[in-house]
Amino acid sequence: MKQLKKEKLAPFLKEMNKERTVYCPQSVDEKDIILAPLGKGEITDEACKTSISFKSILFPQKEEINLFTRGGVEKTLDKNKTAVFGVRTCDLRSMEFVDNFMSRNQMKDPFYFAKRDNIIIMALACNGPLSETCFCTDTGASPFLYKGFDLQFFDAGAFYIVESGSSSGDKIIESDYFIDADPKDEETLKKIKDYSIKAEMQAPGVSNAIEWLKEKTPEPEFWEDLATACIACGGCSYVCPTCTCFNIFDSPSNRGFLRFRTWDTCMYEGFSRETSGHNPRGALGSRLARRYLHKIKEDPANYGISGCVGCGRCSDACPVGLGMIEIIRQINKI
Amino acid sequence: MTNSIDEFEDASVFMVIGSNTTANHPLISARIINAVKQRGAKLILCDPRCIDLASIASIHIRHKIGSDVALINGFMNIILNKELEDKAFIKERTENFEKMAEVVKKYTPDYVAGITGIEPELLVKAAELYASSKRSMIVYAMGITQHITGTDNVKSCANLAMLTGNIGTPSSGVNPLRGQNNVQGACDMGALPNVYSGYQPVADLFVRNKFEKQWGVDKLPDGKGLTVIEMGQEIEKGNIKALYIMGENPFISDPDAKHMHRALKKLELLIVQDIFPSSTSEFAHVILPAACFAERGGTYTNTERRVQLSHEALPPLKGTLPDWKIICEISKRAGFPMDYKDPSEIMDEINITTPSYSGITYERLKKGWGLSWPCTSKDHPGTKFLHQGKFTRGRGLFHVIEYIPPAELPDAEYPFILTTGRLRPHFHTGTMTRRTAILDREAPAPVLDINPEDAKALRVRNGDQIIIESRRGALKLAVNITLDVPKGVVFSTFHFKEKNINELTLCALDPVAGIPEYKNCAVSIRRS
Repeated sequence: MKQLKKEKLAPFLKEMNKERTVYCPQSVDEKDIILAPLGKGEITDEACKTSISFKSILFPQKEEINLFTRGGVEKTLDKNKTAVFGVRTCDLRSMEFVDNFMSRNQMKDPFYFAKRDNIIIMALACNGPLSETCFCTDTGASPFLYKGFDLQFFDAGAFYIVESGSSSGDKIIESDYFIDADPKDEETLKKIKDYSIKAEMQAPGVSNAIEWLKEKTPEPEFWEDLATACIACGGCSYVCPTCTCFNIFDSPSNRGFLRFRTWDTCMYEGFSRETSGHNPRGALGSRLARRYLHKIKEDPANYGISGCVGCGRCSDACPVGLGMIEIIRQINKI
Repeated sequence: MTNSIDEFEDASVFMVIGSNTTANHPLISARIINAVKQRGAKLILCDPRCIDLASIASIHIRHKIGSDVALINGFMNIILNKELEDKAFIKERTENFEKMAEVVKKYTPDYVAGITGIEPELLVKAAELYASSKRSMIVYAMGITQHITGTDNVKSCANLAMLTGNIGTPSSGVNPLRGQNNVQGACDMGALPNVYSGYQPVADLFVRNKFEKQWGVDKLPDGKGLTVIEMGQEIEKGNIKALYIMGENPFISDPDAKHMHRALKKLELLIVQDIFPSSTSEFAHVILPAACFAERGGTYTNTERRVQLSHEALPPLKGTLPDWKIICEISKRAGFPMDYKDPSEIMDEINITTPSYSGITYERLKKGWGLSWPCTSKDHPGTKFLHQGKFTRGRGLFHVIEYIPPAELPDAEYPFILTTGRLRPHFHTGTMTRRTAILDREAPAPVLDINPEDAKALRVRNGDQIIIESRRGALKLAVNITLDVPKGVVFSTFHFKEKNINELTLCALDPVAGIPEYKNCAVSIRRS
């Protein structure tokens, strides 16, 4: 265990940025906080949830995957060294989920793992809910991690208490920026953990709903009724850290023909339309059911874990007041 | 809009007329839906088509296309007969009431039923519901304006609101939903043939003098310019030889495309300024590539008159410039140097010349989330809703309006009515949305909505190709058989350049606003 004084954070990240691209939450125009490569804004230690999840680093909204030239086809793998500071626990639990998904049936998604294998993860535990839509504890998780990070930072006021979770992490904290932990830090850390795990958050009742859904499922009318207000914008999927559907398209460039993949969403009518024109999920209600039941019925059944990590971003982003919190509440009312 | 968007949260009755809100203004639609479902607000929907909002409407009036004036006069007749009008409001705030009331006498429920095809009982229920609340909002869009009686339709909406005192207080008003993110701003800045910024008339000598002084020129023209449709007509007559189009694709968006084709061909000089090539730029002699919204700073004025700041997120692509810089460069070369350093200097000039924008400065915009005009001084908080206590013109004027039928009625040769509109995934002529693979996948090709009875009579099945023809052109389209359109009416969209529905539409104009009657033309349909 080590300590990093808060004033040392920026110099430390800037130093690291010399050998790898460092992403961290930065405030732009004094209004928005975005997760971006250093230099986009001011490094901030404000406790906040970035509106777009960490998945956008490993699975970008749009990425080049193939280049077609007269010489043949080439995979374009992004193996650049990166690091990310300030990722929250919910996002890292989602990464575990996406790792599994991207390596199902012994087939690894090369584009995802090219980036995944070259990133250093510096998690930032939450001392409490970051917004009124946080509900990670309600999904049975904790606001800090036990594994799955290189370093984990705990905010202890003037400094961070830093845990290492890997050999890369061990190496990083050897640098001069980090100092040895005070004997009292052990106790402080325990206090932070105890406090954060008990901190009051939204409790829409995810585990209840998951339990209920094991045996039953809401009627189609339930979803049609919710879908009246849904505008099928797909925002919920785009901000969701465990949503990984993508579409592929080709585009000419001066290097040759490029193939891209971009985020897609099952909320779109064209997503499940078949070539004949028939659409098994033509009704918006059935698409809403598919998306939400996938997270809290199919994922628990297939992988034994909830596909919802409780970050609450879908509830933040939904312009019509739906999102997971509202859906869970409605399911629990049945 | 006379109201602000937040006021939807507190309205008791919505009258949505001529707006497919869910497709075109989905966020406002969601507010209406949530108000109805969660709070028990009431929705009167007046639309010939069964649009999404129909599923939550308390009353759905599927009146004949183009019969809006008769419908609203009918409502007013019922309100007056049942003495549901706001007598105090009429007396204190309005004028010309008696003349209007006299004409409305003729529009009895039975008479209106004959024009609109709506049962008298339903008309009475709707009129009573609208008049039952002091928080009734009228919401309309192109279904009201795109008629030869567009101006009359708008005035009728204003009449109805004034009659019941449903204007000038929170959550009660008349709300045209603007169809583009900055069409309000463009109009505010005088991109109209008869006004300078802030709707200051060109014909007004005092106004002209002010702008002459500001710009250091003498003798600004005192006559009204032309509307876009009139320009097409003047090109054909040979009176216009050069045209400079910015961010518009009239070859696809204007009615009677063949006529537009002839006009564009005839030009000696066509300049098109846009972010992507378009069907119109194919006719251009000069193309000026512009930077897109993310590549420039500036402001947008939205449907609730809110001016909002937008930042440059990316530098412009090589070889492109923001529109304002292109205009400055052209002006400089034409002998009138414009030396604005950045958009905030343009706003400084707007502040000086435009009373309703005089308090909207970059400094203030940077601090908050925008300001709604009128905002007449540096400490004015902006205006949430219009016409509080007093109308802009003083007293609210009741207009005397008689019903006029649409320009082209169906007949034996062209027995169907074609009406056009938009789909949720696409924006206008698709120059942007159809370049986005996932959006284009949502609606990759146009279809013609047709009623099952009509489909049966034509012996066509879902997805079959038909030929749709008007006096101006013909197209081959696949049919989508649906109860959403009434018998005798077919619907399609103008997003698709490969099947341009505007080859069929009619160039009949509203005499005041010059807006074409996109919502109604006569067509024939036959199996392909």
